[in-house]
Amino acid sequence: MADAIRFEEQGVPAAAIITDAFRTTADAMAQTQGMPGYPYAVIPHPVSSLSPEEVRQRAEQVLPEVLRLLGIEEGVEEAEDERAADS
Amino acid sequence: MSVQRTAEPTLEAVRHAREAIEYCYERGWTDGLPVVPPAEEFVEEFLAVVDRDPDEVVIEQEHLGRKCTVRLAAANAVMAGCKPEYFPVVLAALEALNRLPGSRGLLQSTTGQAVFVVVNGPIRNQLGFNTKDNLFSPGDRPNATVGRAIRLVIMNALGIRPHEFDQSTHGQPGKFSLCIAENEEESPWDPLHVERGFARDESTVTVGLVRGTMQVEQRDSKEPEVILETIADSMSYAGTYFPTPRGHAGIVVMGPEHAQLIAEAGWSKARAREYLWEHFGRPAGLLRRLAKGALLDPSLPDDAFVRFAHSPETILIVVAGARNAGISTVCPTFIGQQVTVPIRMKSTSH
Repeated sequence: MADAIRFEEQGVPAAAIITDAFRTTADAMAQTQGMPGYPYAVIPHPVSSLSPEEVRQRAEQVLPEVLRLLGIEEGVEEAEDERAADS
Repeated sequence: MSVQRTAEPTLEAVRHAREAIEYCYERGWTDGLPVVPPAEEFVEEFLAVVDRDPDEVVIEQEHLGRKCTVRLAAANAVMAGCKPEYFPVVLAALEALNRLPGSRGLLQSTTGQAVFVVVNGPIRNQLGFNTKDNLFSPGDRPNATVGRAIRLVIMNALGIRPHEFDQSTHGQPGKFSLCIAENEEESPWDPLHVERGFARDESTVTVGLVRGTMQVEQRDSKEPEVILETIADSMSYAGTYFPTPRGHAGIVVMGPEHAQLIAEAGWSKARAREYLWEHFGRPAGLLRRLAKGALLDPSLPDDAFVRFAHSPETILIVVAGARNAGISTVCPTFIGQQVTVPIRMKSTSH
């Protein structure tokens, strides 16, 4: 969270991803860094015990939210279009 | 100097004291136990025993935007129940913690790190630190309050509190306070600070981070190999290990009985450390079965012994406790470094 906020302060779009077990700390860090309510993407906990394939699934699930946080909504539509075309 | 008490406190004074303690609870300044209310004049008493600028920063957590000055450290030492003369030890421990690799981040870690403080040198006896029986137990004010002062600084000055920035999954009782002093008098070897280049008559604190304390029972042998292998086995339980290219480390608080038996057999501390290092580990097959074999060379046979630490130097030995049983304590840690700093006394007081 601190890193993402630092990037934003420098004008670099950033997206923080946390697992749902760390919401409290993430909110506290946003407050401490002077950006209360700073939005972040949330994935289910835990992660460290996942297989590589399960990690890929988590990444795909969170991708639209990450793109939204980065401010590139069109990217979501394109990705969805591609996924629709693939299936 | 010490805190003066002239007469039995009146009931009225005790009632006021209780109100002040409740006030500290309401302000969120405690570790769950009552604290001594940090009135400014008490803080001044602590500042008077050191030659330090009260506004000097002793430890910081840059990513949290938090700093602890000498004055804030003094306020927390008051709250912890320290006597003013303990304050130089608290300051030295905070300086050591500030220089400890990993103290940014690990103080908030799910892994539940306690700050492990070892006091060496003449100050141990001058201030009455416990070095013997009940080393890790309640009962001795210097040990209990110096360790507690460090934790209160972490919570109050650095803002790392439970349910917020401290993310410990379980934590451990050592997070209330974990301060010992080496039993130099009954150690057969050079004390820790001498080993680290300080003079025997200097006083130091050494600081590390540990995940707990576990007692090791071995009173049925006087063979160095048997004693040390029992200790090394206790350092190596599967739950302490995770694959990391940095390697693991260990802190061993060796009971004087163990240390003396090992030394009487002609072993130096360095040789004991080397032997611990050689036996600190587990077979490759066990690690693979427990999903901890990610870094192992696939060609390594299952019965090959995997050492958890990269070198004997990552294992710290301190001799402390009573000389009444074959008991040592291992403190799991994954920081292969501890920081030792001299305790700076006020120039006029010595």
